[in-house]
Amino acid sequence: MSAYATIAFKPDRCNGCNECMSACAAVKGSAGQIDSRIQIVAANDSFELAMCRQCGDPKCVAVCPAAALAKNEGSGVISWDGGKCVNCLLCTVGCAYGGIVHNAAAGHVVKCDMCDAAVAGAPACVKACDQGALQFITSARIYNEVGDLEDLFVPGLSGCQGCNTELIMRHALRRVGPETVLATPPGCIPGMGAVGYNGLTGTKVPVFHPLLTNTASMLTGIKRHYKRQGREMTAMALAGDGGTSDVGFQSLSGAAERGEEILFICVDNEGYMNTGMQRSSCTPYGAWTSTTPVGERGQGKSQDAKNMPVLMMMHNCAYVATASTGFMEDLYAKLDHAIAASKHGFAYLHIYSPCTTGWRFPSQDNIEVARKAVETNFVMLWEFTPEAGLTLSRPLDQARPLTEYLKAQGKYRHLSAEQIVHIEASLAKNVAFIEKLAGPRKPATAQQAAVRA
Amino acid sequence: MNAVLQPKPNYIVCDGNEAAAWAVSLAQVDMVAVYPITPQSSLVEYLAKFIADGRLGAEIVDVEGEHSVLSVLQGATLAGARTYTASCGPGLAFMFEPYMRTPGMRLPMVMTIVTRDTLTPQSVWGGHQDAMSVREVGWIQIYCENLQEILDTTIMAYRIAEHHDVMLPVNVCHDGNYLSFATGRVELPDAAEVAAFLGQRDVNWHVALDPDRPMAVDPLTGGAGGPGPALFVRYRKGQCQGMQNSLAVIEEVHADWARRFGRHHAPLVEAYRMDDAELALVTLGSMTGAAKDAVDEARARGQKVGLAKVKTYRPFPAKKLAEILAPVKAVAVVDRSVSFGWNCGPLYQDTLAALQASNIPAMSCIGGLAGADITITHFARVIEACAELAEKRSPVDTLWLNEHD
Repeated sequence: MSAYATIAFKPDRCNGCNECMSACAAVKGSAGQIDSRIQIVAANDSFELAMCRQCGDPKCVAVCPAAALAKNEGSGVISWDGGKCVNCLLCTVGCAYGGIVHNAAAGHVVKCDMCDAAVAGAPACVKACDQGALQFITSARIYNEVGDLEDLFVPGLSGCQGCNTELIMRHALRRVGPETVLATPPGCIPGMGAVGYNGLTGTKVPVFHPLLTNTASMLTGIKRHYKRQGREMTAMALAGDGGTSDVGFQSLSGAAERGEEILFICVDNEGYMNTGMQRSSCTPYGAWTSTTPVGERGQGKSQDAKNMPVLMMMHNCAYVATASTGFMEDLYAKLDHAIAASKHGFAYLHIYSPCTTGWRFPSQDNIEVARKAVETNFVMLWEFTPEAGLTLSRPLDQARPLTEYLKAQGKYRHLSAEQIVHIEASLAKNVAFIEKLAGPRKPATAQQAAVRA
Repeated sequence: MNAVLQPKPNYIVCDGNEAAAWAVSLAQVDMVAVYPITPQSSLVEYLAKFIADGRLGAEIVDVEGEHSVLSVLQGATLAGARTYTASCGPGLAFMFEPYMRTPGMRLPMVMTIVTRDTLTPQSVWGGHQDAMSVREVGWIQIYCENLQEILDTTIMAYRIAEHHDVMLPVNVCHDGNYLSFATGRVELPDAAEVAAFLGQRDVNWHVALDPDRPMAVDPLTGGAGGPGPALFVRYRKGQCQGMQNSLAVIEEVHADWARRFGRHHAPLVEAYRMDDAELALVTLGSMTGAAKDAVDEARARGQKVGLAKVKTYRPFPAKKLAEILAPVKAVAVVDRSVSFGWNCGPLYQDTLAALQASNIPAMSCIGGLAGADITITHFARVIEACAELAEKRSPVDTLWLNEHD
């Protein structure tokens, strides 16, 4: 199956000119912007899009009693058949995006049909947008773009089924490129063969096991020497949360304080998963691990997680960000920012990476668990530079209930009502803290817009 | 670019820590990583000053602890740098994790141990317990007797470490307090001649972290079956061979140093007044000066006493020591540290092992712990005890020299 073409909306580029709505109305012979099948809606100090998303699992189709709506498997477009429609308007209730609405002049529902883009090149609204806020792209674009870069890990790494750390590793190293020295301290990453076994290597770039304790220090020596020789290269770490937040913290803190030019990526699966799922300081409160077991007197970890990315922010690093494999476009953008920052200072990227084995959920649910973490605010996505301070990448108007996230994982199965109250209270406190650091919501800065371009 | 100011005249007056720093400047190292600890601190201060003054064109990394000191330098060495640092006592203990790994990676690094007794009881004074505690880790260990030997040996250490038959890290040990702060005249060799003596640095030809030569450094080996354990065994065997190879290399390098600079230091073991000797002292480090005086006094009294100073302690020059001691009737070994497992000194154990083919009786003497002075008088007691041993030929208890000072 090939990827579908889709209309993507970048709210930070939209200036509210509504030319897209005029263009749609003109092409579709509607009365005016009010009847356009694309609606730009002002919200707070930004814009939102009301339009058909051509969903993969369309609710409009599901609720239609007359089979008047159908998803075209070839184009992905959801089509409306006037001959079958009984005008019940159930589809307008089923859609959460305002993507199908009753048009009084036409006397029936209307929705975006992508202007038969195969003929037109791009839908009329996209052509009319001179800000680049509307783009006509294939939905797998980001993966395809990274896929064009050379995969610098060998095939056949041996991660657990459903682990997304391999996704992070391969795509991060592709983005960084071959002029790299890669450190993978003991943990899942070398555990799945990144450094190889018995004389065989797992990567196409120079790679090594530092000690669990000295990743940032060894990279310091490497980077400083090459810099002294005038050689451009990236000193990069792919470390777990244990090697980052526990025993590796001293050397990390030292390197960050000295502003060493290092790209340090922490893949946080909230524990020592490679050695059998023991507790780390990044393990959240209440979580079962093999060293915080559940029994008559123990109910999982009894302390909150160390907020590692905030600690790194307090080192005033050149760049600090959090990311999630549930939001790959955001992750890629941050990876680019981190790589750029590592050319002049310490760049720290903290990627939350659910562990199918250690967190006890079905292996196919990894991305879903990652997404729920962000949508419940359990994981907050943000980035920090000394110049711009902390910026929320994905502020939520309304977070989903935390229990949706907790219930998705077996490691929280034992939680009591009191424990859930504790987690909710800690979460609320953390959200308030991060939002306070972020300050009032503001449109994207010119610098961020430039990076996104 | 490295630039070393040529001092005129070639003599300077300095302490042992500064002598080491001068040697590092003359070796034109690329990187030093530093963290202060008594009695090493002034050494890294001299280095920082040399670099700040532009006298030494090296990168300096002021890290947050000894663990990172060695880790930074391992990274730099893998990238091709000639490096240096110094530590001791608790700092060496904190450094132990990367320290243990250095010889296995065959990194030709040079590090001074400004020897210090270990905790506890709390002490900041000299003693060999720190260096002795790491004697089986796989670093070459060379002990200095005086200031000139510190300077000369520290330079020579680079050529020994970087020799392709060796490729192992070297500890140059000089005694905390006694050598670190003792001041005297030291002759500085000519910078260009030192550069010619050391040659081009070539420290990562065998293992590198270099994007132009991608390789996996230290992948997992071992296990119960398959090629892993055999790979590991061959590797270890090679590491031991490198240690043994260093004995000849150390001799060769000292001979070349003598040829070029006119100063000869006994490379493995120095024999002092051993001709016709019937009793022998075995010493290590700065205590040797007082011991030699005691030997001279005994000789003046008509006692046939000599001395063997062990300079290269790891690998242990067993053959050389046995050869020097072969003619004597009894041996007294003086240690500035203890072996807790055997209730004696570690150098004594090594000497016993070296003498195992002979039937020469030997005894262990322990002195100089935590900065205690081993005086000529103490050595006179040692000689007396040794003479008694030669006569009675029965085992004697360990002699604790400073117990009642």
